[in-house]
Amino acid sequence: MQFTKDSFYMTLRERLASVNSQRTVTLNGVTRPAVIVAENELVVPVTPLPNAFYIEWGGAQVVDGQIASRILMAMDCVISHHTFGTVESGVDRGRTLAELDMELMAICQPPRTDKRDYTQSPSVDLGTDIFWTLPALGAVTGSMGPLNESLPEKTQSAQLERRAVLQVFFFSEVNSL
Amino acid sequence: MSSSPLRSAMVPVTRRIRVYFAPVDRTTETPTVFDPGKAGLFALETPPAPWIDVGYIDNFQRFCQTTSEPLRAGTQGAPAGQFRGPIDVRIEFDFREWGKLQMALAAGSDQMNVLASDPNANAQPSGGTALPAVAVLPGSTATEIVLGAGAVSGFSVGDIIAVDNDYQQQTGHVGTGIAAAYVSDPATVNQDVNYIRRVTFNVGRVAQLTATSILLAQPLPGGAPAAGAGVQKVIAFVDREGGSFFQEWSGLFVAEEDAGGRVCFYYPRLSPTTTIQAAVNTSRGAMPSLTQILFRGTSKTGTQVTHPPLQPAGRAFEREQFVVLTPPVVALGLRAAFLALPHTDENDGQTVVCYRSYFPSPMAAVY
Repeated sequence: MQFTKDSFYMTLRERLASVNSQRTVTLNGVTRPAVIVAENELVVPVTPLPNAFYIEWGGAQVVDGQIASRILMAMDCVISHHTFGTVESGVDRGRTLAELDMELMAICQPPRTDKRDYTQSPSVDLGTDIFWTLPALGAVTGSMGPLNESLPEKTQSAQLERRAVLQVFFFSEVNSL
Repeated sequence: MSSSPLRSAMVPVTRRIRVYFAPVDRTTETPTVFDPGKAGLFALETPPAPWIDVGYIDNFQRFCQTTSEPLRAGTQGAPAGQFRGPIDVRIEFDFREWGKLQMALAAGSDQMNVLASDPNANAQPSGGTALPAVAVLPGSTATEIVLGAGAVSGFSVGDIIAVDNDYQQQTGHVGTGIAAAYVSDPATVNQDVNYIRRVTFNVGRVAQLTATSILLAQPLPGGAPAAGAGVQKVIAFVDREGGSFFQEWSGLFVAEEDAGGRVCFYYPRLSPTTTIQAAVNTSRGAMPSLTQILFRGTSKTGTQVTHPPLQPAGRAFEREQFVVLTPPVVALGLRAAFLALPHTDENDGQTVVCYRSYFPSPMAAVY
């Protein structure tokens, strides 16, 4: 399972560097593509960075209807991003969010990659691919706005947020008996 | 559970079928060969020449009605062996993307390019008297058509063009690179100098103009035009119900390898048909298609998806499928069905109609 998480993350990170090399973040003094796995970062009370893709892993289930030695599993994944725009007035925050949305769709395709063991260097091909559904982009929500926000989704707020969900499929590393 | 590595993942998993077609030499009935050893793991975006990417298809179903007949012997008529009866193999699917090639393959007969015509010409359902062609100059390729200064100005970015030879009263198959029609008598096509361009598969979209040439968005399917060819604008594509010509193509269907293992179905010779396979030969009835299995109920985004129901055997052939995207919006799919024609495998002289090849995941068990 960890190989799947690592492979998914590394794939998105490498693809983002290709799709938009300027989309980077600096964490712990290191500048890298703006794909962050929350559970891999230091536990410090820091708010998520804007203009970056945060990966969070959810539940995992055995896919129904299988008769095989290796079971196919599906793991839920949430990728979230938010922005304040690129100018002080924030008037381009909607456009910036759309750019992030399209970058997310781009880096998620093709929806498959090798499953590799990244605990070794160089990494080792584990033989099968992992694959995933395309992200379902949830509603845009706003926050950090004035108190008397009247629009239903609060998109006049300073921060616009998007939450995308998908499922990642992989063959378990253990045989079923 | 066991962590034994002996039986690693051996399940081909896919969500889409991508299809490629290549011409059959109609004079010799020689198909385009797909050699899995040479080209099996090609990048799906860049198929090996001369395979043409026709996009993803829906509701792909393979039917085999070839029977096995027992050979009986003895007083009790026990089976002593068996032999194969008449080969009857067909496939059906829906093109979800429309284009010249998709329409031709789905309709099955000769497919017409509606050439830009003289406004005063008599109206014809497949296009009237065409405006004169512009001559193609030497140095042209499948992606660049050299016309010379001045002649280029008659075309604009976005135009669709047909590029092929003038009809010179010959009989037989016509069309550069791909047999587009069969002429039995020049009189039947009115000795029309534009006839080949009316049917040719050598069509393309103008992407850019230079001072002397046209650059195409996609290469001409039939290859570079010959010296003396002409160019004409195409307004639309028309296929017709009826006609005596049958398309014939080699077909390659690839199940995208989501989990690492790729499956390919190669049909050396496919001929369009509208005779529906009697698929219901078992108590289970027709098997659901891949799409019907994958997207039964709701889509990945939660949108209700309605795919056409499975059709009973013996049904009439439906030319188009209306796929409900979200009511009242529907997408039009082109229904296509083919009869597989025989090919002799030179390795052993066997008569075959289809090859199924499997490329296991890199570390998958082989049995």
